[in-house]
Amino acid sequence: MIGYVLEVAQAALALLLAPGLVGLIRWMKARLQNRRGAPVLQPYWELGKLFRKEVVVSNNASWLFRATPFIVFASVVAVTFLVPILAVPLPFDGVGDLLVVVYLLLLGTFFLSLAGLDPGSPFGGMGASREMTVAALAEPTVALAIFALALSAGSTNLGQIVARTMTDPGAALSPGHLLAFGALFIVTLAETGRLPIDNPATHLELTMIHEAMVLEYSGRYLALIEWAAAVKLLIFFSLLGNLFVPWGVSVTMTPSTLAIAVASLLAKLVVLAGVVAVLETRIAKLRLFRVPELLSVSFVLALLAVTSSFLLR
Amino acid sequence: MDSVFSQLSVMGSSLALIFGLILLWRRGVTAYISAFTWQSRVITAVTVVVAYFGHDHELYWVAGALFILKGLVIPRLLRRMERRFAAERELEPYVNTATSLVISGLLVLFGYAITRPLVALSQLPTRAGMPLAMGLVLVSLFVIVSRKKALTQVIGFLMLENGLALLAVLGTYGIPLIVELGVFLDVLMGFLVMQIFVYQIHETFESIDVEQLNRLRH
Repeated sequence: MIGYVLEVAQAALALLLAPGLVGLIRWMKARLQNRRGAPVLQPYWELGKLFRKEVVVSNNASWLFRATPFIVFASVVAVTFLVPILAVPLPFDGVGDLLVVVYLLLLGTFFLSLAGLDPGSPFGGMGASREMTVAALAEPTVALAIFALALSAGSTNLGQIVARTMTDPGAALSPGHLLAFGALFIVTLAETGRLPIDNPATHLELTMIHEAMVLEYSGRYLALIEWAAAVKLLIFFSLLGNLFVPWGVSVTMTPSTLAIAVASLLAKLVVLAGVVAVLETRIAKLRLFRVPELLSVSFVLALLAVTSSFLLR
Repeated sequence: MDSVFSQLSVMGSSLALIFGLILLWRRGVTAYISAFTWQSRVITAVTVVVAYFGHDHELYWVAGALFILKGLVIPRLLRRMERRFAAERELEPYVNTATSLVISGLLVLFGYAITRPLVALSQLPTRAGMPLAMGLVLVSLFVIVSRKKALTQVIGFLMLENGLALLAVLGTYGIPLIVELGVFLDVLMGFLVMQIFVYQIHETFESIDVEQLNRLRH
């Protein structure tokens, strides 16, 4: 029973924290660039404002355009139930393993690009085509990188991978884990539309990917999509944090360990947000044609990770 | 203790391999030189680790010589060359970037396959790093054959030598000091000769693209 309560609490926490995480990255970036920056809570106000605004939909749009925000949001909410964010083992661990997580995330991406094509605006089609180019290369890398961990844990279940790394701390420094971390970090930047691949700060830039697809959305639809994008960022960050550095995740369901779990989750998110903010300040956006090359770097890293954890078992 | 030792050596060799892969992904000479410098420093660190855990005092001297030669002197000479050839970027290699990365992944797999008997034979805690060092050797060879600029090929050669040094340290805890010194001298001489060649190629063709050498046939 307590497991199910915990599942719901974990999903609610992820949904609540996600806009704050985006706001934190924006604020850190602003400070690093000598700007004052919007407050960390700004994304919450923006979401609130969008939810109150009127929805404008193109005459050419079909039901797909209206359904997509809900599908995208529902798929990330489903993932928050399956990913070990606070505690392991969870009752839903048996429902879906890493493959379910990867393909639920891909489902959202797929519908988002369909919706980009749907109203027939040139920007939407361009964004959709680019998003598919990135997703086709990024998705297998995510699966492969987590597979490297699954091989050493002997299970594709995310909860068991976390539990296994905790019992065997030396494994966290093995080359398989380090290479997989590198691969998953690059893919996180690609999947969540961060800087070397996509610029989250600008609208109407000719090289935009995610922004181009959602250009036609407004009002509560846009709010749902933006919120889902923030939750996706949080999911990837907690995967990076909890799969590779699992300490702090609660294994016994007592209040004190759960408090530690929340605190360590916050600490990991802040550290990763800091890394992303510094990275985004230091590097420029890649040319679009260089993006597949960066993703093949991460694919090779993931491949090497699988090889070394397979052969060094 | 042994597990820490083997973790450290494997981590060092993975890092060395990743610095080798940078040669395939980046295009500017500056990035190549810093990749080579850091790779040499990582290999120095691996040598120090092996010396400490293997209780081999001679290896400290090897590590010192390695650091001075490949971590300081050669990078410095490379930087001097770079000042002249900074505009020569690796824009059109024989094999494009994405394909060469995938090929290098396969080469590392191949490295695993061919070092299998070697790893099975060895009892040393460092044996797990040997396939990675072999992978580095193969990847550097691939850099030499797939890139057009003479300077890239020179750096590929230096990384090949780094890979061999790493393989020697991991596989046998290093070769005798006198042999090691001979190898270092050879590397330095080889590098100086290649440097003269690069300057000569540039003098003759106003470019360090080795494709230009085909014109010599007429």
